[in-house]
Amino acid sequence: MSWIGYSLRRGILSTRYPLRADSMAPAYRGAVESLPANVEAQALGAGACLSSALTAAGARARVDRKRCFQCGECARRSPEAFGMRNEFELAEVAGNPDEVRSLLRERVRGLGRSVHLRHVDAGSDGSEEQELQAIFNPFYDANRLGIFLTATPRHADVLVVTGVVTRAMAQPLLAAHEAMPQPKLVVALGTSACSGGIFSRSIAVLGPVSDVLPVDVFIPGTPPSPLTILHGLWVALGYAAARGRS
Amino acid sequence: MSAQARSRVAGGERLAWIFADRIGRQTRLHYVFANGASLVDVGSDAAGSVQSLTPVTPAAEWYEREIRDRFGLEFENLSDDRPLVRVEPPDELRKRESPEISTVLYGPIRSGIVESARWTIDTAGETFVEVAPSMFFKHRGLEERFVGVELELAPFVAEHVSGATASSHAAAFCRAVETVADVHVPERARAARSVLVELERVAQHLDSLGKLADDGSLSVGSAQTFAAKERVHRLLAAGTGHRFGRGVCCVGGTRFDVLASLREACDRELEEVERHARSVVQTLVSTQSLLDRLIGAGKLTYEQVVRFGAVGPVARGSGVSCDARTGDDYFYTPLTGEEVLESNGDAAARALVRAAEIQRSFQLIRNALSANPPGDWLAKAAPRDGCGFARVEAPQGELIYFVRIEGGRLMRVAIRPPSYANWPLFVPSLPGNIFTDFSFIEHSFAASQSEVDR
Ligand code: SF4
Repeated sequence: MSWIGYSLRRGILSTRYPLRADSMAPAYRGAVESLPANVEAQALGAGACLSSALTAAGARARVDRKRCFQCGECARRSPEAFGMRNEFELAEVAGNPDEVRSLLRERVRGLGRSVHLRHVDAGSDGSEEQELQAIFNPFYDANRLGIFLTATPRHADVLVVTGVVTRAMAQPLLAAHEAMPQPKLVVALGTSACSGGIFSRSIAVLGPVSDVLPVDVFIPGTPPSPLTILHGLWVALGYAAARGRS
Repeated sequence: MSAQARSRVAGGERLAWIFADRIGRQTRLHYVFANGASLVDVGSDAAGSVQSLTPVTPAAEWYEREIRDRFGLEFENLSDDRPLVRVEPPDELRKRESPEISTVLYGPIRSGIVESARWTIDTAGETFVEVAPSMFFKHRGLEERFVGVELELAPFVAEHVSGATASSHAAAFCRAVETVADVHVPERARAARSVLVELERVAQHLDSLGKLADDGSLSVGSAQTFAAKERVHRLLAAGTGHRFGRGVCCVGGTRFDVLASLREACDRELEEVERHARSVVQTLVSTQSLLDRLIGAGKLTYEQVVRFGAVGPVARGSGVSCDARTGDDYFYTPLTGEEVLESNGDAAARALVRAAEIQRSFQLIRNALSANPPGDWLAKAAPRDGCGFARVEAPQGELIYFVRIEGGRLMRVAIRPPSYANWPLFVPSLPGNIFTDFSFIEHSFAASQSEVDR
């Protein structure tokens, strides 16, 4: 059987996101929403969070999305104070989103029409790699957006780092960053990379990527879905504004 | 002390695991043997130095090296005294100085989207002479992370050990605790866990096959395999709220009636997922140009697999029967179909095992969905003290969890991931192969580095 015929029969699968809207399944636990509730209800949910993403405060609890690993337990224990939404555009930048956006746009202007990603695993759980790989599958086809993967640091524009940075990976990570030409962007992919997640108090790890390198864009999620990654890369390229700020 | 372990090895039992547990100032060694469908734990207190089991079985080597590095216990006559956990400065690994042989350091950062690990490769021209792994670049202290965590939340830690096989890890952890708590897990929850673990197997086997297709430059073949895998993740997202089915298993059952939502999602999508997966796999395994690259690559004999105690598709590809689902009436009621075995022991055999298992998994998924056991999905577990083991047939093979609970608190969690049992065999599978076979062999093992390093 020929492979060309095979894929023709399968038809076009690919999303048009981010040029057109797309969505995740209604049940998808993308983002925590904190609801107006009393402090007891807030504290009940916050106590369920293994990565201390929630702080009871005032009318509604504060949520640090970079810490959330999407388990849904806060909403299960305290539905008055927390809910899960199927939101997937989760990327954050350090600083004012609008200012960062124009800065990023300025920086990628020199890159031409396509950008090349280089990936470094600093201590992931292995699923971040699979979701990053997935943006190149026929459903997402990141190549259609001019996003490619490169093996050579010299050709890389964006360094995508997965996982919390372990002690053994800090040095290789720094060297990989060093080897890239200017201008270069750093993306922390996944909750552990963004904030350390559940490993924050672990002595075996060094900390989040931003403890080692200047991070331009944070893409939380455990792991972030392919749509979340596409959105985050779009933010990194200055085409979209990040939602939050951190 | 290790005499009993020795006689079990001599008696032909498979050494599945050695791990250490420190209670107060006392270090206790556990030798875990697989005897048919059950695990036998031979525990003994250790002090100072212990006789290594490596003179009688190579399966002991990585376990003993890791215990030495992490617990400071010495093993006499250990066959390989290089550190396993500590990451050596690379220069110390370059030991061979010969004009015909050159040494290449491959990793820890490699090309493409891969997990970090380093290989010191001695080659003579094109062929491998010797390969030495350096692991634990990704050591995150996960076993320690469990200590003191509330039992209800601890499955989330298990899901961080290997995110791609999170359901297997969560289920194995929960089962281990459930053996201690003596809770009767409702059948509805067991059916749901079974569906999750089998969907995970389909996704991960497709991942391995997709990477092999990519190695073989079948760009359409690999794209279509990854597309089929994507359908599994979408199905999981609709049925569980997470693309890898995380956040579902908890001690005593499942956190919500996930079987109901899985049934709903499967009603809509399972047929298409299965059709896509089946057709792409069928096409892959009949693509001669791919098979040509896989046949003969990374060959492992039946004896090697038995001696090293490998598990999962790696064992089954060499004709060694090893499937924790067999004889397990906990998850897999009713288990249908024969265990899939191949005899060639090469990358092709392992790929064929995975291809056939994908089909079998769909059958198991349908069985569990249509059984649809009524009733509750969560039983209250009364916290009790004690130690418990559990195993689950994860996509890469037998996964074992050990838990020790005191005063209702987790005091020790130890994990023997399938990739850990298989990785030591990767090295002996390489010599004689050529450089370009490396990724084929690696992807036919499909080991998860994150669960090895923990
Ligand atoms: S990690 Fe879990 S408990 Fe914490 S905020 Fe996110 S969903 Fe809630």
